[in-house]
Amino acid sequence: MLYFGQLMITGIMMGGVYGLMAVGVIIIVKASGVFNFAHGAIVVFGAFIFWAFLVPFGLPFWVSIPLLFLWAAMLGFLIERLILRPLIGQPLLAAAMATIALGEILNGIVVLIWPGPGRVYKPPFLPRGAFHLGGLVFPYNQLVCFLACMIALGIFVYFFRYTRQGLAMRGASEDHQLARSVGISVTRIFMISWFIAVLTAAAGGIISASFMGVDPSLGALGLYAFPAVIFGGLESVGGGVVGGISVGILQNLGGGYLDRYVGGGIKEIAPYIIMLVILIFKPHGLFGYKKIERV
Amino acid sequence: MHHRPCGTFDVRYEDTISMSILRTHFHKVLMAVFLIFLYTIPPIFFSDYLLSILNTTCITIIVVHGLNILTGYCGQINLGQAAFMMAGGYTSAILSTKLGLSFWACLPLAAISSGVIGFAFGLPALRIKGFYIAMSTLAAQYVLPWVIIHVPTITNGIFGCRANSPTLGGITFNTEQKWFFLIVSFTILMSFFARNFLRTKIGRAFIAIRDNDVAAEIMGINIFRYKVLAFGLCSIFAGVGGSLMVHYLGVAQYEHFTLLNSIWYLGMLIVGGMGSAIGVIFGVIFIKLLTELTMLSTPALVSAFPAIADTVAAAIGPITFGTVIILFLIFEPRGLAHSWATLKASMRIWPFPY
Repeated sequence: MLYFGQLMITGIMMGGVYGLMAVGVIIIVKASGVFNFAHGAIVVFGAFIFWAFLVPFGLPFWVSIPLLFLWAAMLGFLIERLILRPLIGQPLLAAAMATIALGEILNGIVVLIWPGPGRVYKPPFLPRGAFHLGGLVFPYNQLVCFLACMIALGIFVYFFRYTRQGLAMRGASEDHQLARSVGISVTRIFMISWFIAVLTAAAGGIISASFMGVDPSLGALGLYAFPAVIFGGLESVGGGVVGGISVGILQNLGGGYLDRYVGGGIKEIAPYIIMLVILIFKPHGLFGYKKIERV
Repeated sequence: MHHRPCGTFDVRYEDTISMSILRTHFHKVLMAVFLIFLYTIPPIFFSDYLLSILNTTCITIIVVHGLNILTGYCGQINLGQAAFMMAGGYTSAILSTKLGLSFWACLPLAAISSGVIGFAFGLPALRIKGFYIAMSTLAAQYVLPWVIIHVPTITNGIFGCRANSPTLGGITFNTEQKWFFLIVSFTILMSFFARNFLRTKIGRAFIAIRDNDVAAEIMGINIFRYKVLAFGLCSIFAGVGGSLMVHYLGVAQYEHFTLLNSIWYLGMLIVGGMGSAIGVIFGVIFIKLLTELTMLSTPALVSAFPAIADTVAAAIGPITFGTVIILFLIFEPRGLAHSWATLKASMRIWPFPY
């Protein structure tokens, strides 16, 4: 039972990160209708850039955060302006392909700037040690990261539900023409969407990197956002959070109980197996819209 | 006469001329000359290195033809073509070494096993459409290698599975020259099949689904059946390519079939032009040439910037590749096939502009 509880806790902590990254994917899907296949690459890039601010440049934490926002805004702006805007009017397939190509470019840039193997780093701003409760261990650094994820997600929910800009974004995701006719600038919405997507991907990358080191293999972790998105449903920010946590829990339970029978590695593929099952049996996820088209 | 006089329109399906690929005698002669050159020039004059590039290019053409059927004709993104290729390749290698079957039995069995696996990963198409289905192939790209690594009694796990060289009438295919004849013959065969496939009922149904699935269903096309069929066909091509690749290299190694390879196949398809068989050939050759050029230019770059030599070598490939794809998507979304058609049209009416 203790083992089960510990696996659950680790799963929830990891799931919070997946949920945060899933929100980034969902925002792009809602705004422009494409899956952002460059998400994994942005996760890696974000983790590396934040590490670069902190360690090689030696900037303090509170300076790095605004710089990270600046970087996310710049990258989001460039992606939207240089890659996706010229593709308006072409099939969505083209835009999806463009994000795949973008991922390749970003991977190349990361290798170009920070060559060689990954970097181990212990983020100085995270507390050490752990908190014990009835035999269960809650590492402080994971707790802080989980809380940060939840706060960020709370801000997103508030943003989409109550602020003018957030409501405009939801409107634009419903119908571009209608949104334009009530005076919403859809192009600006796109740019904000990409800014948020880059920011969430970077946040996910930074948090994962604080446990596993800054490494190009974080990109594989970034792709776990897709199972989370499919689980929760494509259209709902809350669904992404629930999906992320569920995927995290199932992944850890699968790894904890099944690894000994198959020789390890269940954790790596469990999210994808979950995704396949969901795709077959509940393709619109838990909270996604069911689009009914009858012929 | 190398082209048909103006005012000739294709009006009847029964008319063999209007449906044939090579329409005039000039075309037929040109094709024959091209084939003769293809079968004589490279094996005699090319070095082993050039031949090995040609061989891998031809295998890639087969694989991308399959991807073209699924992504180009049927409009479903496939991020797992390399995984399906791996399924075929491993089947072939295992049958060849563990059961001692000959290559000529392994190849069709590999195609079938790969086709079945592709079919299985296409099953979610029953209830989903659009980008969701790409997720299923992404899962394939992670799940299949994991399975390969975790059943070492059958696949040798991370060490890879050896594969025998094929023999035909006393000839063992063990040099680049001999392989060239085999691979090129398969490539021509599969290209012909892929090109002709577009004009069958199934091919037209795929295009209808790509262009508008609701309209296609109204016209009586069973979308689920055809989508799954497209997955199966796509994987059969991948299986043939994978089997050839494995026997050509002599070993099945899961590291040869990564997500990156799948992405590159998609890129080749985009550059060539989706939904065009000739485009596939152009696209693969273009990207392969680009790769070779970047590899050739790397020593120059390394001598210019010695401090970051390794970095440049590793980074220049993906950056060039990604940039080329985005440029093609923006400026020539219909790919090299469209440029080729435009060029042919302007040649035909030269010196008049239109």
